[in-house]
Amino acid sequence: MSSSEALSNSHAPKATSGERALSLYVCLILLFLALPIFIVVPLAFSSDASLSFPPHGFSFRWFVNMVNRQEFLRAAGLSAMLAVVATICSLIVGSLAAVGLVRYHFPGRDTLLMVFMTPLIFPAIVLGAGLALMFSPLGLLRNFWGLLLAHMVVTFPYCLRTSLATLHEVDKALEEAAYTLGANRWRTFRHVTLPLMRPGLLAGATFSLIISFDEFTITMFLAGPGLMTLPLEMYNYTEFSLDPTIAAISTVLLIITSIAIVIIEKLVGLGKQFS
Amino acid sequence: MNGSINASASMGGATIGAARVDLDSVKKWYGPVLAVRGVSLSIEPGEMVCFLGPSGCGKTTTLRMIAGLETPDEGEIRIGGEAVNRLPPWKRNVGMVFQNYALFPHMTVAENIAFGLNMRGTSGSEVRAKVEAAMAQVRLADYGDRRPSQLSGGQRQRIALARAIVTRPNVLLLDEPLAALDKKLREQMQVEIKQLQRAVGITTVFVTHDQEEALTLADRIVVMEEGRIVQIGAPSDVYERPKSRFVSDFIGYTNAVSGKVEAITAGRARVSTASGHAFEVPAGEGISAGDRVDLVIRPEKVVVDPANTDGLMVLDGTLVHTVYTGAVTYSHVDIGAGDVLIAMSPNAHGEAATAPGGRLRIGLRPDTMLMFPSRG
Repeated sequence: MSSSEALSNSHAPKATSGERALSLYVCLILLFLALPIFIVVPLAFSSDASLSFPPHGFSFRWFVNMVNRQEFLRAAGLSAMLAVVATICSLIVGSLAAVGLVRYHFPGRDTLLMVFMTPLIFPAIVLGAGLALMFSPLGLLRNFWGLLLAHMVVTFPYCLRTSLATLHEVDKALEEAAYTLGANRWRTFRHVTLPLMRPGLLAGATFSLIISFDEFTITMFLAGPGLMTLPLEMYNYTEFSLDPTIAAISTVLLIITSIAIVIIEKLVGLGKQFS
Repeated sequence: MNGSINASASMGGATIGAARVDLDSVKKWYGPVLAVRGVSLSIEPGEMVCFLGPSGCGKTTTLRMIAGLETPDEGEIRIGGEAVNRLPPWKRNVGMVFQNYALFPHMTVAENIAFGLNMRGTSGSEVRAKVEAAMAQVRLADYGDRRPSQLSGGQRQRIALARAIVTRPNVLLLDEPLAALDKKLREQMQVEIKQLQRAVGITTVFVTHDQEEALTLADRIVVMEEGRIVQIGAPSDVYERPKSRFVSDFIGYTNAVSGKVEAITAGRARVSTASGHAFEVPAGEGISAGDRVDLVIRPEKVVVDPANTDGLMVLDGTLVHTVYTGAVTYSHVDIGAGDVLIAMSPNAHGEAATAPGGRLRIGLRPDTMLMFPSRG
């Protein structure tokens, strides 16, 4: 009896210490994930001439430098343009492809779906090299349209995936009801299917914008002088000068992304897209 | 929820959608499975026809073929005399109510009802007038701004109906429209649907697996089994004179004893049962002396402890079980050798006196018994 008592007594505190260890572990993981992101913020306001942590003084001089350097503004403009146009194109193609893949059963459907998803797992460096080789004879190398196509290749799978997820949730009977009420396929898609896919489209757009804006590897093969995206321009800059300008740009991007994610989360619940 | 659908509020004009519907040897395959095996049927203008059968009998597939949501592999479907096989659903001018109503969740009630009119390019003021009239007709006049998610099951049902008929379709198709409602509401909606159908005079095809619903609503019942029509007739026809054991079992209680045909003379068959009784019943087609048969009788045609035995065949038995349902009681009576007949008696004078295990006399007219070949 005494041994069983000892057992049960030692059991309770052990469980709580285990829980405590788990909490600590989770906190460390979160810290590890977030630290590199947030370390750029104090650095952006550093008065030092080089990137060193902790900073020795406070200043806005690197933000001023960022705005004064034309190449960053030009690159940010190109990146934003690419991200927006690639996202719109990918959403159109992605949502239509989702309708085909979900609503119609045809031979090779699963294979097609797999092919559409390959850019997600395919090594970007191979994709970049391949696209460069293909675009070169077509005159699409160091060309905006070439870059756009390349960005669509990587953003399309995200748009397709989120479209597929929401379309599975849309009851087929709703489309059939629209048919019997006199709406043809296109009008049914326009007035019933598409509005009901809105959460997926918004989530897809968010992913797509971020993926495109952030794209580095493939873009490196296809961009060139006069056609530089922001990540490439930032990378170039760090090759010659390691001052906190990069941290200042990163901070601005961090703020914009955070605001976007909060807005989307409020609108559709981004978390749902991962479950 | 009180009162009934406002039958006098017309849908903005004269009688609508009284089109004739013809099915001519319609067949449909699902892969290797022949789901509909040659269905032929003519539905009269303004008639309400009910497809009745167990799940998988092809009734819903047939309805969906009339709607244009499925394409027949063989045969022809005509609406108002026009072959529609090659017409997509949006060109058929049918109205359909789906099992779960399929109301558009991103639209208000008014927008849902207006959808079909908008697709037809009806002018804005006309749409508003028709939508208002339709909402009044289903007694949900003040619900235009609500979302379908804010409505009860019965209200959604009514909106689905309003949406389906506001476009004045040629045919109204209903796919198990009451299956999602509870019993009380279901009975109420049966009455409302019937009244609405009468008021607008629309040709209606209704699918259900609920025999009571079919008996209550239909002008004619089409009983289906394994992709075929097994009987077509008025509710009383199908109930009183089922053509097969399947139909008699599917509609109403199964109440049967098996036996052997001893002799057939002058249109009457003499059937002896294991319980030692001999029933003289009307001879059916395709049954000859020596055949094993089932004798089927409706429980309400079996009288418990008859006071007047004129023309009745009286059987002595043991009460094995009673089912009290409020208005009536079903008495399961063993008439010997394990043959059980169910008798229905109204509870006009309170509950039945006999307790299970007690002796009980029952009476029946052998004329009202139906004879079917035994199913082995």
